[in-house]
Amino acid sequence: MPDGRIRPYLRALVPVERFGGPAPTAAVTADPAITRVPRPFVLTSGRVTGTDPTIRLETQVTARYSGQRWDSPELSRLPSEMRNIVLLCAEPFSVAEIAAQLRLQLGVTKVLVGDLRAAGYLDVHVRNSADPSTPDVIQRVIDGLSAIT
Amino acid sequence: MDLAQSPDPIRSRPSVPLPVKIVVAGGFGVGKTTTVGAISDIAPLTTEAEMTEAALGIDNLGVESQKTTTTVAMDFGCVTIDQSLKLYLFGTPGQSRFGFMWDDLAHGALGALVVVDSNRLDDCYPAIDYFEHTGLPFIVGVNAFHGQLTHELTEIRWALAISDQIPVVRFDARERTSVRDALLVLLGTALNRALGEPSG
Ligand SMILES: Nc1nc2c(ncn2[C@@H]2O[C@H](COP(=O)(O)OP(=O)(O)O)[C@@H](O)[C@H]2O)c(=O)[nH]1
Ligand SMILES: [Mg+2]
Repeated sequence: MPDGRIRPYLRALVPVERFGGPAPTAAVTADPAITRVPRPFVLTSGRVTGTDPTIRLETQVTARYSGQRWDSPELSRLPSEMRNIVLLCAEPFSVAEIAAQLRLQLGVTKVLVGDLRAAGYLDVHVRNSADPSTPDVIQRVIDGLSAIT
Repeated sequence: MDLAQSPDPIRSRPSVPLPVKIVVAGGFGVGKTTTVGAISDIAPLTTEAEMTEAALGIDNLGVESQKTTTTVAMDFGCVTIDQSLKLYLFGTPGQSRFGFMWDDLAHGALGALVVVDSNRLDDCYPAIDYFEHTGLPFIVGVNAFHGQLTHELTEIRWALAISDQIPVVRFDARERTSVRDALLVLLGTALNRALGEPSG
């Protein structure tokens, strides 16, 4: 369900072959109407609430297709803030780290991450189990911290 | 509970660590950022969250939602336990009106360290109220500014009106091993809770 909805402003940016169609053409990529995109706050219409509640501060995010260059046909059409998120997440990063590294507000970051997941750019590693506080996990943290000197 | 039927996607992808977190709460200037920085693998990072008008409206009882927004800063750091487990520490100010943000912070947290300056005990009341209310395991860490406490721990416990089950420890926010030991007390409480045993 969270993967399903693609917000209108992103529809034009979604790589067509994700949906079984042909790859984007050079003409589409060069269209100035597509590359001229608004800033994140405008993109999110100021939305910082009502985001997917399973996307939390510590939630890990990875780029779905690694090794993409910033000027690849797919990424170059994204607003720079969104492109930067995809590029940063070549390695796993938490939502909080993404916000801090890219100097985005947390609420804005959550919205953009959710939108980029819906558009197929990111994997958001949401936990199935609601509570990670199992004795096993806590014991591993205790052991790990005890090793700190 | 349903772990057996639906395997955790994080565990099936060893490259993505399981994130766990501890909240470091307390009033302004009590040493939260210092605490996070002392134990973190990385220099503490800061992010900002904007409060919604609705959240302001809830706080300002009687005052209808004004067209103002407030930005709340939050620091965090992390400790890489191993390749598959990463501990995050989130330090956030303890005003009751920031409760909306605490819900996000506290959900799924292993527990909370409430940092207290023994000169200004009342600064931590909102945080203690919040964690008592939500049932998240927490301990009180009295930050020994200048190496001294102005009150004994028993006096502090009495003044905070917390149950005997809640550990109150003295620590130095600037010392890595001291922060480590405070976190280990918290995790011991959390482990007892997870094992279904009475804490303390
Ligand atoms: N002398 C002393 N100063 C401290 C101690 N802990 C924090 N500080 C200082 O108190 C100030 C506030 O600390 P900070 O961690 O930023 O507080 P926060 O607002 O809770 O994040 C900083 O200037 C710290 O360097 C301590 O244990 N002893
Ligand atoms: Mg601080």
